[in-house]
Amino acid sequence: MADFTLIAEPPLKGVDHNFGDTRLYAPDDLAIVSIALPLGAEDATLQAVKSGFGADLPAPGQSVMGNDDTRLVRLGPDQAFAIFTRATPDAEPHVQSLLKGAAYTTDQTDVWTGLMLDGPLARTALERICPIDLHPDAFAEGAAARTVMEHLGVLIIRTGPDAFLLLSASSSAGSFLHAVETSLVNVT
Amino acid sequence: MIIDHPLLGPRDAAEFVYLGDAALIDRPDWQAADAMEQFHSYGYLRDNPAGQHQELWYHEQGDRSWLVVTRNTLTHEITAVELARDVARKRGRGK
Amino acid sequence: MTQKNRIKGGLIDRSKEIKFRFNDKWFRGHPGDTLASALLANGQLLMGRSFKYHRPRGVFTDGSEEPNALVHLRDGAYQEPNTRATMVELFEGLNATSQNHRGTLEYDLLAVNDFFSPFLSAGFYYKTFMWPKAFWEKLYEPVIRSAAGLGRLSMKDDPDTYDKGFLHCDLLVIGAGPSGLMAALTAARSGARVILADEDFRPGGRLNCETLELGGMSGTDWAAQTADELASMDNVRLMPRTTVYGAYDHGIYGALERCTDHLADGGDKPRQILWRIYSRRAVLAAGATERPIAFGNNDRPGIMLAGAVRSYANRYAATPGKHVAVFTNNDDGWRTAADLVAKGIEVPVVVDSRDTPAPIDLPGVRHVAGEAVMNTIGRKGVKSITLTNGKVIPVDALAVSGGWNPNVHLTCHQRGRPTWRDDLCAFVPGGDLPVGMAVAGAANGAMTLAAALAEGQAQATAQLDALGIKAKATDLPQAEDEPRGAAAFWHVKQSKHRAWVDLQNDVTVKDIKLANTEGFRSVELLKRYTTMGMATDQGKTSNIAGLAILAEERGKTIPEVGTTIFRPPYTPVPIGALAGRARGKDFRPYRLTPSHKWAEQNGASFVTVGNWLRAEWYTRPGEQGWRDSVDREALTARTSVGICDVTTLGKIDIQGKDAGAFLDKVYANTFSTLKVGRVRYGLMLREDGICYDDGTTARLDENHFVMTTTTANAVTVFRRLEFARQCLWPDMDVHLISTTDGWAQFAVAGPKSRDLLRKVIDAEHDLSNEAFPFMACGHVTVCGGKPARLFRISFSGEMAYEIAVPARFGNSMMAVLNEAGAEFDAAPYGTEALGVMRIEKGHCTGNELNGQTTAHNIRLGKMVSQKKECIGQVLAQRPEMVREDAVRLVGFRPVDRDKKLIAGSHFLNKQAPADMEHDQGWMTSAAYSPNLGHHIGLGFIKSGHERMGEIVRAVSPVHGTEMEVEIVSAHFVDPEGERLRG
Repeated sequence: MADFTLIAEPPLKGVDHNFGDTRLYAPDDLAIVSIALPLGAEDATLQAVKSGFGADLPAPGQSVMGNDDTRLVRLGPDQAFAIFTRATPDAEPHVQSLLKGAAYTTDQTDVWTGLMLDGPLARTALERICPIDLHPDAFAEGAAARTVMEHLGVLIIRTGPDAFLLLSASSSAGSFLHAVETSLVNVT
Repeated sequence: MIIDHPLLGPRDAAEFVYLGDAALIDRPDWQAADAMEQFHSYGYLRDNPAGQHQELWYHEQGDRSWLVVTRNTLTHEITAVELARDVARKRGRGK
Repeated sequence: MTQKNRIKGGLIDRSKEIKFRFNDKWFRGHPGDTLASALLANGQLLMGRSFKYHRPRGVFTDGSEEPNALVHLRDGAYQEPNTRATMVELFEGLNATSQNHRGTLEYDLLAVNDFFSPFLSAGFYYKTFMWPKAFWEKLYEPVIRSAAGLGRLSMKDDPDTYDKGFLHCDLLVIGAGPSGLMAALTAARSGARVILADEDFRPGGRLNCETLELGGMSGTDWAAQTADELASMDNVRLMPRTTVYGAYDHGIYGALERCTDHLADGGDKPRQILWRIYSRRAVLAAGATERPIAFGNNDRPGIMLAGAVRSYANRYAATPGKHVAVFTNNDDGWRTAADLVAKGIEVPVVVDSRDTPAPIDLPGVRHVAGEAVMNTIGRKGVKSITLTNGKVIPVDALAVSGGWNPNVHLTCHQRGRPTWRDDLCAFVPGGDLPVGMAVAGAANGAMTLAAALAEGQAQATAQLDALGIKAKATDLPQAEDEPRGAAAFWHVKQSKHRAWVDLQNDVTVKDIKLANTEGFRSVELLKRYTTMGMATDQGKTSNIAGLAILAEERGKTIPEVGTTIFRPPYTPVPIGALAGRARGKDFRPYRLTPSHKWAEQNGASFVTVGNWLRAEWYTRPGEQGWRDSVDREALTARTSVGICDVTTLGKIDIQGKDAGAFLDKVYANTFSTLKVGRVRYGLMLREDGICYDDGTTARLDENHFVMTTTTANAVTVFRRLEFARQCLWPDMDVHLISTTDGWAQFAVAGPKSRDLLRKVIDAEHDLSNEAFPFMACGHVTVCGGKPARLFRISFSGEMAYEIAVPARFGNSMMAVLNEAGAEFDAAPYGTEALGVMRIEKGHCTGNELNGQTTAHNIRLGKMVSQKKECIGQVLAQRPEMVREDAVRLVGFRPVDRDKKLIAGSHFLNKQAPADMEHDQGWMTSAAYSPNLGHHIGLGFIKSGHERMGEIVRAVSPVHGTEMEVEIVSAHFVDPEGERLRG
């Protein structure tokens, strides 16, 4: 067969802008795998998560860091995301091998596109699009929420005092970037 | 409106999609002798109370859970929010 | 022009001068001025014309309740009508023009309406323009429309930008007057998260307009000091220039912040922000609005509310004249006289309707007790007033006070009804407030300064207590309880001239009486018949007097006749602010397919499908129109191979031990029996038995399925599956997650599809018909190890595959497929060719599954299994839904093959009249088939499957067409399905 090569072109690859001291960028090689807890076997799955990632799955609306800088986000009673860095398109088999079949896993890497917002303007900018209360008392480091911003579903995770990881659908990446950038421009 | 999600706390109703009467959980037995009649009622007949109403809301821009919200249709006061899955089990839809 | 009415003092910065224009004339003012105060200071009392009679009008108030001084602000596309001069902060170069006149403000041609006023009473157009009927559309309506309306739009796109936002707090305080500041201070010092919003640019409310003292300093200084303290606190957001316009459910408030309206050049930042404020509790401290007294010719420029006159003198160092009379029914009106005297303005007379001694001793000011003003003279500015005792007193301005109305508006936004307080002669908030709201200060009827401060503190403390926050003790500043006695006195009965109640809508006392006489006696009808209380000011200064006059006419009390209540918004909100960023191309988000970039580079035209942009065809050099491209693409797929991005179809990953059993319940047909590595077409019904959606579902593993949905229903099918999973069968082990965006999926269709894919799919995968037959599926790798999924499914009817790769490779994959296909003359095809081919094969889409059709109609009735439970199966068996003579899906071709079929045409038997009674069905889809060389159509017709070969008429009254068509099989191409299995 002929030599055809597939090139990876994630939609927001290379986005990196500064607005004063606040940085907006698309993290490289973000991998996301969903973990579904089988009905009736949740305890075994939680155990497998603990041994696979070295961390307990947190309560819904929270995230924790596990081995190899993997962030475990609990989205609901029977669903979680593992978010980590991996360039190759084999994130799902990787997580499946860590969990040894104790959970249903689905590759979500290309379903989403990610933006990191880090700096003193982050919260002020998000005020323009995010209905969630991001006051540190209400949304502390590690907190995670799925919500809607400018008609787009967004998973927002506070990764630091002034840092937020935003995930939204990859097909609408352009609108998503525009929404966040406009917010930053409007508050700069 | 604000719906106090039992797992995630207060969320704007804009994150949710409304379906209707929580009686939709009580889907009839398809093999019952009067199944046609029961499904007709299930599909078409609803109470329309001025006051307390149990209704289904879907957290579409959230955790994708279906909720049973007890809301006063006159005042919009919400007195209870439960996971629909728990309600369904309580109503005997579990195994 | 000199600032001839500028007086000493005030909160303006005299060190700086601002030049501005009004009606093309240059004026000067100072920072701290509003447009209204600067015009007054310059002696420009005439600011506009009235709505109906085009009477000369001047500024009447000093706030957002202004009925008269509405102007066009700014130029060109930036021009905004109905801007209240009282709310416009002066900026360098400001340009305003007056409204509601033809010709100049001074000589308005439509002022002739005033002389016709006997014919223009309440409801005049209901009575006058009745006949002849034909005149309405041609004459009356255009004339009325051209004369009516407040202000004019620029008719250009708004060049400003707007934004929205979300704020959260423990306590929202609405209004930064004394009670609001006190409430905010109490809560802020207690550590609560506080938002203090006020429509003014300077916090303080009436404190800035009065000469009151508190805490041993001037009210103004106390307000400034308190605002400074609040602004310095991390837990406080002080929001001046922000109007809380609506109270919504569960503590949500709408607020409009005017960010750059006060700047000459707002730069590129949003002009206004529409905030949604989530408050746990709120204190409404919106203050009170003064109301006038109706008497003859009470609308002349120079006649103003007494509190406003005081405010212009104290805060803005401006006066409407040098000889200002006062007409009052209450003690507060006297404060105006006192403050004017203190500023050196002559007050020739205080006319008090009460026959009581003067509450304030003012040497040199004549007090006329127990009398009233019954008329005024002076067309473009008041020159004299005539009292009920016949005395005529020359003045150049008149301050009128009819008492104060608490601003209860926001308490009514959830149908709360205000209650009447006799001692105040005013409505105060009723008991049924919006949840979480408390009211403090003048808004609650606490009309004196000391009472307002105490109530602000008390309400904030109570609200914090309800939140479990202990209020820190904060000393109340020392303040007085100024005299506030008032009498119910609404209009001067002795007046023989027209007496205005609603200045903005030109409603007079006589109009209200007329409405009552004609039977419009409920307050709601009165409002609509006379238009009292409508338009931009919503009757803030007029409503109570109107109700009082109605009550008087009906011999009832005001609480007996009741009041209209209030809806949001409290003051007007520009449509631009409500739209926010959602305009033009940003109206809604857009979604791009993974191969979008490649498509753009290869001649694609795009069509909007929901939020998606999909390639509809790819134009090649030399092609004259879309049909050339589409015909070529459809032919290529049937003769060689075509490639189409089908990523937009919904993909749902379904896993779990019960996944197969679950699919049996949500699909009409059975899936639990599907073998691993196989795909099946599935039909989904609604519970009422109507077809809902269709697609293919693949079994990748024992417990792992991938469902596809139509593009349109991707979201709602997911929602319904979650409903089934959580609400109907909660103990099934099934898990759903959308992967629509995760996989770039391409249809590779045509006799050469396998040959093409062999070049792309890694060699170890056997693509032979035996190893990978029609309806097979599985994991493969492409281009040297990249993961992919392969499905042997066909929408086109050709031998076809769909291949999916992680979306990041999608654009590259499209290029690779086309490159690999070059030797077969492969072509990409778009949604149009896709549509042509599916019509050629009789496949359904939304045109056929339109929410009215059953499986029986589309001739898939047998798919609805009665052997297992599934959604829709019971009601689908209702007799009417399975009747033998129901419409059935069949194909159609024109008898005259050159004719073009039109979707939407209705079928009629050959001799039947063209009416609904004889309707036989309708054409759902039509296209030109390049493979057959003529138009073809799909449609529903009664018992269609039994009428093959029959000729019927296709009639479209909308298009004015009628033609004969032949009923044929819906499978125009390869009816036996040999190609797709090849």
